[in-house]
This record gives sequence, structure tokens and C-alpha cells, in this order.
Amino acid sequence: MTIAYACAMGHAPGILAWTDAAPAAQKDRLYAAFDELRGRLEAARLDALVVFTAEHWANFFLDHMSAFCIGMAARFDGPIEPWLKIPKVEIPGDEQLARAIVTACYENDLEPSFAQEMHFDHGTMTPLHFLTPDMSVPVVPIVINTLAPPFPSARRCLKLGRVVGELLRDSNKRVGIVATGGMSHDPGERNHGYIDSAFDRRFLEHMSAGDIEALGEYSSSALSAAGAGAVELLNWIALAGALQSFRGNVLSYEPVKPWATGIGAMSFELSERAQH
Amino acid sequence: MSAYSLQKLIREINRNSDTRARFFQSPHSIVSGSELSEEEKAALLAKDFGALYRLGVHGLLLRPFSILHGQSEPDYLLAIRGGGPK
Repeated sequence: MTIAYACAMGHAPGILAWTDAAPAAQKDRLYAAFDELRGRLEAARLDALVVFTAEHWANFFLDHMSAFCIGMAARFDGPIEPWLKIPKVEIPGDEQLARAIVTACYENDLEPSFAQEMHFDHGTMTPLHFLTPDMSVPVVPIVINTLAPPFPSARRCLKLGRVVGELLRDSNKRVGIVATGGMSHDPGERNHGYIDSAFDRRFLEHMSAGDIEALGEYSSSALSAAGAGAVELLNWIALAGALQSFRGNVLSYEPVKPWATGIGAMSFELSERAQH
Repeated sequence: MSAYSLQKLIREINRNSDTRARFFQSPHSIVSGSELSEEEKAALLAKDFGALYRLGVHGLLLRPFSILHGQSEPDYLLAIRGGGPK
């Protein structure tokens, strides 16, 4: 019946694992933004949460990479990393909604993979830890390949989002959507520590304005130029595709050097068209 | 991105506690039974993170692998950027 909530946020491991390495003011502003996103989520009384997310070799490897994979399990668990400093927990899934998303994709000429087993790493656990700390909202993860090129195009991610959004608007559930990843960073690579704040702020402007056209223009090379991890912004672009008509609010943007990542947190105001 | 077998083995050491324990106890036993090239085997046994990076190991596999060996971030970056500690 409705898309009742939408947000986007980063998931740099440092947020939870090296919290105090960051300047206190930056950490406090980000944590305040995450708290606000949680408050808004709780107020939205969600039945389920779709998460456009990245993973970091947790489930998938080069023996079988897919552009998009929908998690169709009744239960997930995570984090897989013992060093993330949050307890390992179970997270309920929504098999019915996941299957409906896969079916809607196939009916609209998109053929994502689907998985009845998935283990979450920091990419999914970090947002869930802040947004639904008691893990009470069933989750449908949609993993976009942002690890091993070639990557799906921004336009393809917009289309994936649009199909998911249309299904959610027609569903009888109150569903929220989270996008996670980015912004500029080059984790484990030669430019580890590099943050391109100008790139990040420009991207946030496009997300704030709901500028679908501009978001669809981001090429893989344009994203990769801001670091290998900036490709994760395809998740945000998919979210934009799901919402179609929206305005976004940047609750916080912090280039956090000790976490080697530009981290954004956005909430979205959904127009009538976006909701229904 | 290449080095398929090398990355597969490193991922297994990162993820699988049994493989990890065997690798740390007797790295030769793990490496000798693998499909790696001689160059890959040598780099792995020497824990030469710079060479492993240049052989094509993805940063999100190699950095966690280096953490298992107690490699600091500055030393890791020196190694993959060429020069400096292995």
C-alpha cells in the first residue's frame, strides 16, 4: 500500500569497530543523524524493510557473481566479522515479499539472482544496528554487485529500484527502504584513506533534489574515480529509482579520516506519488 | 581482477576458522596442495602483501588477511604501494 519510510547511510567498519578513532564531534554528529533516522523509522510502524546493500565477499565470490541478488530467507544472521563489536544476532526475513520482488523483476525484464541463505557483514549490519537495534522488522536484502567489475549501470539500478518501488506501492504492507554504502573511499586499495568531499557533496545534492536524470548519468568509471568503495553508491541510486518523486535531507555528511570514508546520512520526504 | 585460485584460498583462510588454524600451523600443507602458481605460493608463504596485491588480490580480501597477521594499516599501505615493509 505504501512506501512508508526511506533513508540512506554509510556503513564504514570504523563506525562500530573503531568508533573512538574518529574526532568526537564528527562521530557525535553522525550518531545523532543515525538516531534521527531510527526515530523516523520507528514512527513509520513498518511491516518490512528492503535494504539495497553491498557485501564484501561474505556470501558471493568469483565462482558466481550476479549483478543483483534478492535475499529470500526466513532468517539471516550477522555480522560475520568478530571484530565489529556488536553481538551476532538473527534477523528475520520476509520470504513472501522477497519472492514477490523477484517475480516482479522477472515480469519487468530483470532477472536477479535469489538466495535462501545469506549472512550479513558490516555492510548490512551497521545500518540495521542503528535503525532496528532489536531486529524486530523483517528484512529483504537486495545485494548489488559493487565488488567485482563489470558493475550494473546506474540506469539499470534505477530500473531495479523502479520495479521494486512500484511493487511496494501496490503491496498491502508498510515497507521502508534503506540504501547503504559509500561514499568516497578506497578500502584496502592503494588510495585507502582518500576522501573526495567535492564528489560526495555533489552526489548528495543530486540525491537531495531527487534528480533521477543526473543520478542515471553516473558511470562506473565516474564512481570508481572516487575510490573502489564509491561504487556502493549504486545502492543509493537504486533507492532513488524506487522513490521516483522525492526530496532528500542530508542529516549529516562527514569525511572521517580515521575511518577512511566520506559518510552520509539522508532521510527522504516522499511525495504522494512516491508513497502510493 | 584475476588470480582466482589465490583469492579463493585467501578468502577461505579469512572466513573458515579450521582452514585458518591449519594455515597458521602449517602454511606449507595448505599451499602445497593448492593450484597456485609458484610465484603465488612464494608470495603467500612469505606473507608478502605487496606481491599479493600486485598478483591481483582484491583489497577487501588482502587487508583482512593482513590483519590476521597483525599488519598495521600504515605498513600494509606501504607494502601495496610498493616499497617498505612486506
